[in-house]
Amino acid sequence: MKKILRILSLLTVLIIILYWTVPSKSDISPIEKIKKRGYLLWGSDAEGGAPYVFPDPKNPSKLIGFEVDLANAIARELGVEARQSQNAWDSLLPALKRGDFDIAMNGIEITAQREAEVLFSMPYYIYTEQLVVRKNDTQIKNINDLKGKKVGTLSGAVAQDILMKIGGVDVKVYSGQVEPYEDLAIGRLDAVLLDLPIAAYYAKPNPKLKYTGHPVGEGFYGIAIKKENKEFKNKIDEIFIKLLKSGELKKIYKKWDMWDKTQENLFQQIKTSEGFVSLQESKKAPLYTFFPNLLKGAGITILISVSSMALAITLGLILTVLRIYGRTPLSSVAAAYIEIYRGTPLLIQLYILYYGLPNIGISLNPLTAAFIGLGMNYAAYESELYRAGINAVPKGQMEAALSLGMSQSLAVKRIIMPQAIRIAFPGITNDFIALFKDSSLVSVIAMVELTKTYSILAATTLRFFELGLIVAFLYFAMSYPLSLLARRLEEKLMGHKR
Amino acid sequence: MIKVKNLHKYYGEVHLFKGINFDIERGEVIVFIGPSGSGKSTFLRCINGLEYFQEGEIAVNNIGLHSINRLRPSKEDMETIRKIRLRVGVVFQQFNLFPHMTVLENIIEAPTRVLNIDSDKAVEDALSLLKRINIEKKAQSYPDELSGGEQQRVAIARALAMKPEAMLFDEPTSSLDPEMVGEVLAVIKNLVSEGMTTLIATHEMDFAREIADKVVVFDHGDIVEVGAPEDIFTNPKKERTKIFLNRILKR
Repeated sequence: MKKILRILSLLTVLIIILYWTVPSKSDISPIEKIKKRGYLLWGSDAEGGAPYVFPDPKNPSKLIGFEVDLANAIARELGVEARQSQNAWDSLLPALKRGDFDIAMNGIEITAQREAEVLFSMPYYIYTEQLVVRKNDTQIKNINDLKGKKVGTLSGAVAQDILMKIGGVDVKVYSGQVEPYEDLAIGRLDAVLLDLPIAAYYAKPNPKLKYTGHPVGEGFYGIAIKKENKEFKNKIDEIFIKLLKSGELKKIYKKWDMWDKTQENLFQQIKTSEGFVSLQESKKAPLYTFFPNLLKGAGITILISVSSMALAITLGLILTVLRIYGRTPLSSVAAAYIEIYRGTPLLIQLYILYYGLPNIGISLNPLTAAFIGLGMNYAAYESELYRAGINAVPKGQMEAALSLGMSQSLAVKRIIMPQAIRIAFPGITNDFIALFKDSSLVSVIAMVELTKTYSILAATTLRFFELGLIVAFLYFAMSYPLSLLARRLEEKLMGHKR
Repeated sequence: MIKVKNLHKYYGEVHLFKGINFDIERGEVIVFIGPSGSGKSTFLRCINGLEYFQEGEIAVNNIGLHSINRLRPSKEDMETIRKIRLRVGVVFQQFNLFPHMTVLENIIEAPTRVLNIDSDKAVEDALSLLKRINIEKKAQSYPDELSGGEQQRVAIARALAMKPEAMLFDEPTSSLDPEMVGEVLAVIKNLVSEGMTTLIATHEMDFAREIADKVVVFDHGDIVEVGAPEDIFTNPKKERTKIFLNRILKR
């Protein structure tokens, strides 16, 4: 009973803290909203990579891909601009449902399961699944030869269902589309089954890999729209028919070398080709072209770390004072908070905060969620550091303060805390550096900070090594001055012992 | 000025004070002696509310302190204790200066924040106090830059800055090096000569003899004997007093 009370009071505190971030709901139609806003927000995962949405190797701050072209065309027809909203592929639909963007378009296959959750536009592309094996492989001719083999595919993709249905296949599920082909090339996998556009970009240019068998499992990509926005879906379909009739769609697919016979079912033929970027070209782009993106990511990393550390330090202090000097209900709430936050993974806390709270009507933007998530988690740790600091202050200090007629709260504020913080300071500095690196976890809630920028760029260009070194250096270049600064502060505090 | 009535104090199962009655008049100098653990320090700490007691009453200037709920003291009880503390200064065996503040800051902290005295005035008072104990040069030093004797003198000044009506000294020289005992005792003597009501727990027998109006002998939580210093030291009536004095004077 006591425990339930503790948890309830914790939740209450949590909800009160989050209350101010609840956005107001409006009744205006999505089309009006987009027009008023001046741009169409479309959700996709640039880490998913080419040829869907990926950073232009020549100018990585710009996204390109056939879906970028599509989004631009749709937005143009709506009379606005298109803006991409970065979101992990597996959580595109939950994010769409919570209203993070107007449409989700990122090679999302139309399946019965998904249709139960969202509306789909008319199909904009007919995909097939292509089996890829190593060049020297002679055993696997088509998907019927896959029994007992290790086969890689994408998490949540239709190819995964196909493999599961065959039965007896050792399916290895990946969250990115680069890694399965990498693992196949070095022999960790026997085959990879993925959508043809993916295979065309990543596997076809790789001299160690080859296509085998005919494409299987025809299916459709569709644009996902919130269930209640029927009118908006009709508008998108209208635009598609227009683009289809004018031949613009065909032109886009030609440009990205995605044209195949299958598509003829949807489109008439028109020929052009311009601006297509191949994997080889991506690999050759000079490194400096990536710096603006990486620096932007680093800026966001700093913003998140500094702001959430400030929250952690303040909230931690409040928690400590409540826990040690507060009366029973408050001190138990503080103690429960600390134990719960320390005893559960940060990742889960972030998921609950960002994807869970919308279920009870609280929708945070990614930056707020990252700030609150990291800050509230680290507050629990800072609180324990303060507590250790307070316990290390000799008992006589409190007695001396009280004997001078100070109230307990004045004594804590003026005599105990200043000494406790000095004792806790090295630990707090250490936590700041840890938080700095932990901030990369917030990429799961659609924040594109330094680590996420890295994985997006690396996935498109396959330059995990060089870019990795640069990113590691950037982290170091930020955290090292931080530790130097902290040490000097520490010396200033301790050196004179105050 | 201070009235102790039927004071009972337990440490868990141990019944330390079994109903102590003791009154102190304004201006009196009382010295408490007795073996370590006999209860003399605890007695002083009870008067200031630093120790809780289970039964009885202590009144300072007619402000009554009763046994209180030690885990969840009520607001009124805390306020009563604080009122008493404002009238009674304490000097501890371990000095307990605030290490993060200078000597001057240590002294003006409570006057400015508790009594709301203007800080210029508080500094002025503090400097004159420091002059009296002869360490005004150390006003800007931090406690760890002072010798033990200097620290204890500052602690006395800090307590005096609150203008108390009585002072409690809890073994003020017990953690000092022998050569520094004198300077601290001199300050206390000076204070006594000005008529301050003073309660001292100490092992300095010569000092006790010289300064006390009354000597109180504690043993196992009991007040064994109360008397003028001459009587206690030269002609003790109780066997327990004799045993204690023999043991301590032989050293």
